[in-house]
Amino acid sequence: MKFKHLAVTLALLAATLSHVNADRLVIKGSDTLGAKLVPQLAEQFKAQHPGTTFDIAAEGSTTGIAAIIDGTAQIGMSSRRAKTSEVGAAASKGKHMKPTIVAFDGIAVIVNSGSPIKSLTKKQVEQIFTGDVTDWSAVGGSGGKISVYTRNTSSGTYSDFKELAMKKRDYAGGSQKMAGNEQIAAEVGKNPNGVGYVGMAYTKAGGVKAMPIDGAVPSTKSVQAHTYPYWRPTFYYTNGDPSGLAKDFVDFTVGPGGQRIVAQVGFVPIK
Amino acid sequence: MKKLILAAAALCVALGGSVARAQDAGALLDLLVKKKLITDQEAEEVRTELVKESTSTAAGKWKLSAPITELELYGDTRLRYEYRGGRTTSNSPVAAPAPGVAGRDDWEERDRLRYRLRVGLRGTLADDWFFGLRLETSTSNRSTNVTFGGDSNNGPFSKNDDGIFVGQAYFGYTGFPDLKLTGGRMPNPLIFTSMVWDDDINPEGLAEQWKHTFTFNFGGGGEAVQGYSKYSKEGKGVVAAPAGEPFKLKLDLFANFGQFIYSGNIIQNGLGPRPTVSSSAGDGTGQTGQDIPDTNAYLLAWQTGARLTFPNNVYFQLAPTLYNYTGDGQFFNIHFQGGSPHLTNAASMAQNQNGINSLLVFDMPMEVGWKLFDLPMRIFGDFAVNFDADDRAAAAGHAGGGGQRYAYEIGLGVGQLKAKSDWEIRAWWQHSDQFSLDPNLVDSDIFDSRVNMQGVAVKAGYMLADAISLNLTYSYGWRSNGNYGTGGIGDIPINPLDQYQLFQADMSVRF
Repeated sequence: MKFKHLAVTLALLAATLSHVNADRLVIKGSDTLGAKLVPQLAEQFKAQHPGTTFDIAAEGSTTGIAAIIDGTAQIGMSSRRAKTSEVGAAASKGKHMKPTIVAFDGIAVIVNSGSPIKSLTKKQVEQIFTGDVTDWSAVGGSGGKISVYTRNTSSGTYSDFKELAMKKRDYAGGSQKMAGNEQIAAEVGKNPNGVGYVGMAYTKAGGVKAMPIDGAVPSTKSVQAHTYPYWRPTFYYTNGDPSGLAKDFVDFTVGPGGQRIVAQVGFVPIK
Repeated sequence: MKKLILAAAALCVALGGSVARAQDAGALLDLLVKKKLITDQEAEEVRTELVKESTSTAAGKWKLSAPITELELYGDTRLRYEYRGGRTTSNSPVAAPAPGVAGRDDWEERDRLRYRLRVGLRGTLADDWFFGLRLETSTSNRSTNVTFGGDSNNGPFSKNDDGIFVGQAYFGYTGFPDLKLTGGRMPNPLIFTSMVWDDDINPEGLAEQWKHTFTFNFGGGGEAVQGYSKYSKEGKGVVAAPAGEPFKLKLDLFANFGQFIYSGNIIQNGLGPRPTVSSSAGDGTGQTGQDIPDTNAYLLAWQTGARLTFPNNVYFQLAPTLYNYTGDGQFFNIHFQGGSPHLTNAASMAQNQNGINSLLVFDMPMEVGWKLFDLPMRIFGDFAVNFDADDRAAAAGHAGGGGQRYAYEIGLGVGQLKAKSDWEIRAWWQHSDQFSLDPNLVDSDIFDSRVNMQGVAVKAGYMLADAISLNLTYSYGWRSNGNYGTGGIGDIPINPLDQYQLFQADMSVRF
């Protein structure tokens, strides 16, 4: 009889533990998505799904994609497409990288709000970030050594910007690498000669202003129409079609409720 | 409908090359999204599928480092039958003939079956840099051939002489307008003929190449040409009648400069007294006791030129060049003598054959080309003169022999070798005086790396396939001036080389 009680108790304990694990969602990856957007989505989702817990680690897109390949997260956040080598590595481990576009983003080029620069061309942006020009006077400014701020190398934005704006050339030798968008915005806000790039969600930071590029301002409309040159999709990556709690969260993100939050945070909804 | 479009897009991309498939998909999918035929999400799913597919192909598994923007693998393999023979002079021998000692009008002949392999990679890098690497058989500077069965020991089919060596290793920069800068062991950056340079030589050093094209239009450009039409087999017009073409002239101006390290690796300002040429090295040259130079030797090349292209593929090209040498280097520090008809063959051969003293060579390769009934034809020629021939002759013991300073060739070429069934014939006359050219650079085949030779050469080629060619070469030469040897070190150990014949039959695979 005692054994019967013990078995029932263990079964109940196991069921409880399994219920806890099933309601825990591990999300890793992009700082662009993981700093603001996904935590807010998670809060809203938790309100609708009591008992759900989230483990969110935002350390760059590369870590998110690696987490899907390694099986250490259910969702990998990425502000860039998975590279060929990453898709190949996943396939070799029997994983299938499934992308879901969750929001659009414009990578805004920001300068200090006190800068006399009103706009830039794509060519000037390339010259500034590659170090071809090092003084603001070369691009219509009033002079002063340009201080370039970039994301660090594990960031999806770092490689996306190279591809979108720099013809895949290397960043200027003296460029300073920052951990996240907020740090770049803060540094540019303090430095009158600073220039950097951030996700559109961060252009409202104090002391900075976003530059029109070839006349196109980074905005919801220009990004959705793909007329702003530095637009990009942002992704959730899953191993194949998502299932269970991951599917619920992906569906929530791309649904009306999630996309409202996308817009509130400063990203561009997919529709 | 959308599924059909997606399937069609995927099919279009799949039919493309596997290497570029994913990249091609990007442009196509972006267009479909822009036209609102598919959504961004659908495009993304197709894109990921194609990337995944490409990673499973052979091309997808080949990884290139990030700075490489373009890479080309190329090379060739050649099988060759070669006969070459040379004859001693009728004055020889000065000494009595014996086994291994030349007799009068004595022919020495060589039959060889040979192969060569050259494999290269060349590519462009980010930010206007480029690089190249080519591996070749043979250690020779003027040949990439290896003789079958030529191994000196270890039995048949040994690999003693089948090594792979670095033929080219260079990189450069093209970021300045019209300018190309190269450093390393490189393909010859100059325009030249085989009279002056063997085309197997890859100079080491630096090169600067500038080229600018001017185009001139004279009249035309307005009315369409009357009565012009082209039709497909079905009789439908496929090409619109073009507008009248203006008379166009294209002028390419170019300048090529080279600073080549001819002989380096020398100790400068060595300890103790400056060394001199020992008796063992100098006996044959009469230069025993001469100070051994302690500077590197450089070959400097200064070439400018122009190519004028007229309508209908008519062109004219001229590339005047000046070559001068500085320093004497480690291995070319004995004055050139070039052999003598008044010595035994062995003593004549022992004279210095590769000295680069007193060479200030002006060279002017030229070429005129046109098409006759779609058949490319060209007249080519070269003229060279050594302005320091007086000193070179005097140092060789021939004071007053400075008139031996000229070299020239003139020839006709018909056809070209580019694709399957193409053919080409070239024939030319070539003459070089004893003190006219650097014998270390001249072609090693046509006259066995010698100067003071003249004669004819004919080359004929046919492309069996786009990558397979057959080539026949014949040359016949004889000593140009009987008072001198035939300077240079070739495959036939005779000096003076009174007569010379060469026949080569090649089959090459180019990839």
